[in-house]
Amino acid sequence: MLVLLLALALGVTLGLLTNFSVPAAALTYLGVSVLAAIDACLGGVKAALEHTFDDKVFVSGFLTNTLMAAFIVFVGDRIGVRELYLAAVVAFGLRVFDNLGTVRRLLFSRWGWE
Amino acid sequence: MERSFQEGRLLASLAVGLLLVGFLLVAQWRGNASASTQLARQSDQSLGMIIQQLTAENAGLRSEVLRLQVRILEAEREGIDRGEVLNEAAKELNALRILAGLESATGPGVRIVIEDPERVLLPQDFVALVHELRAGGAEAISVNGQRVVADSGFSGENGRVTLDGVDLTRGYKIAALGEPQRLEQSLTLPGGLMSTLVTFPGVTVQIEQAEELHVPEGQVPVFTYGQPVEAQ
Repeated sequence: MLVLLLALALGVTLGLLTNFSVPAAALTYLGVSVLAAIDACLGGVKAALEHTFDDKVFVSGFLTNTLMAAFIVFVGDRIGVRELYLAAVVAFGLRVFDNLGTVRRLLFSRWGWE
Repeated sequence: MERSFQEGRLLASLAVGLLLVGFLLVAQWRGNASASTQLARQSDQSLGMIIQQLTAENAGLRSEVLRLQVRILEAEREGIDRGEVLNEAAKELNALRILAGLESATGPGVRIVIEDPERVLLPQDFVALVHELRAGGAEAISVNGQRVVADSGFSGENGRVTLDGVDLTRGYKIAALGEPQRLEQSLTLPGGLMSTLVTFPGVTVQIEQAEELHVPEGQVPVFTYGQPVEAQ
């Protein structure tokens, strides 16, 4: 677990150090993509806790979810439904909370707090 | 359970995923903080309003700049004007003094010598001569060393010609300041005054251009009846 938190911290540090900022045009796309990535990671943690983790599933899910999220926003922009990104945000947001809840319960059972 | 987390591939893939998430989060955070992003977020309507506001503000500032520039120009011009007006006024005053005959003047011009041994010339011939010279751009004229000023008049009878009451002896010498070429031309035009004068018996006219002529000052005109009208 600690390794994962360290990885997250490392990513943040890397972002801070490289001084990379997303161009305004890509901001909405990447925003939803980040949400999808968070969801994928939480799903991975959940799967690991449930002993169902498969790295192929995780990597492919991570990539398709992030790309699909960005694509949905892009399509929404093109067809004049800019609010389409809301659909992705709601879907991924729900999944994030859902996964978070599951992970929490799994962690509790794992640490024997239940 | 523990084993699942010890598995290298699991940890590695999750770690890479979280690393990416962290990195992207920071990048996203930064991008959102910039001003252009704030604008990109606005709806078309509020963007239109912002543009309108900024345009109005811009126009106001531009007109302010213009107004201030005009004021600078005016102030500069005023500064220049004062000096120039003084200069001009001095020049004008000088010119007026010469024209009025208050000052003796020197400069290029023509010298005219008219011989009239039979005394056939009349005062009006001199009036015509002075007019011709003035038409030719003469700035100062003297006859026999006597300045012809604004209120000068030729008169006389019985073959005598007087200028402002002073007898003009025979052998009239006229000096006129001005552009010599033009002055001479104005007198020697075909059908002009010279051609008329020389038809009189005994009258001879000599005109010579001079680089340096001297015209003395005249009497100061005295206004008794006329009063200057105050300028508005």
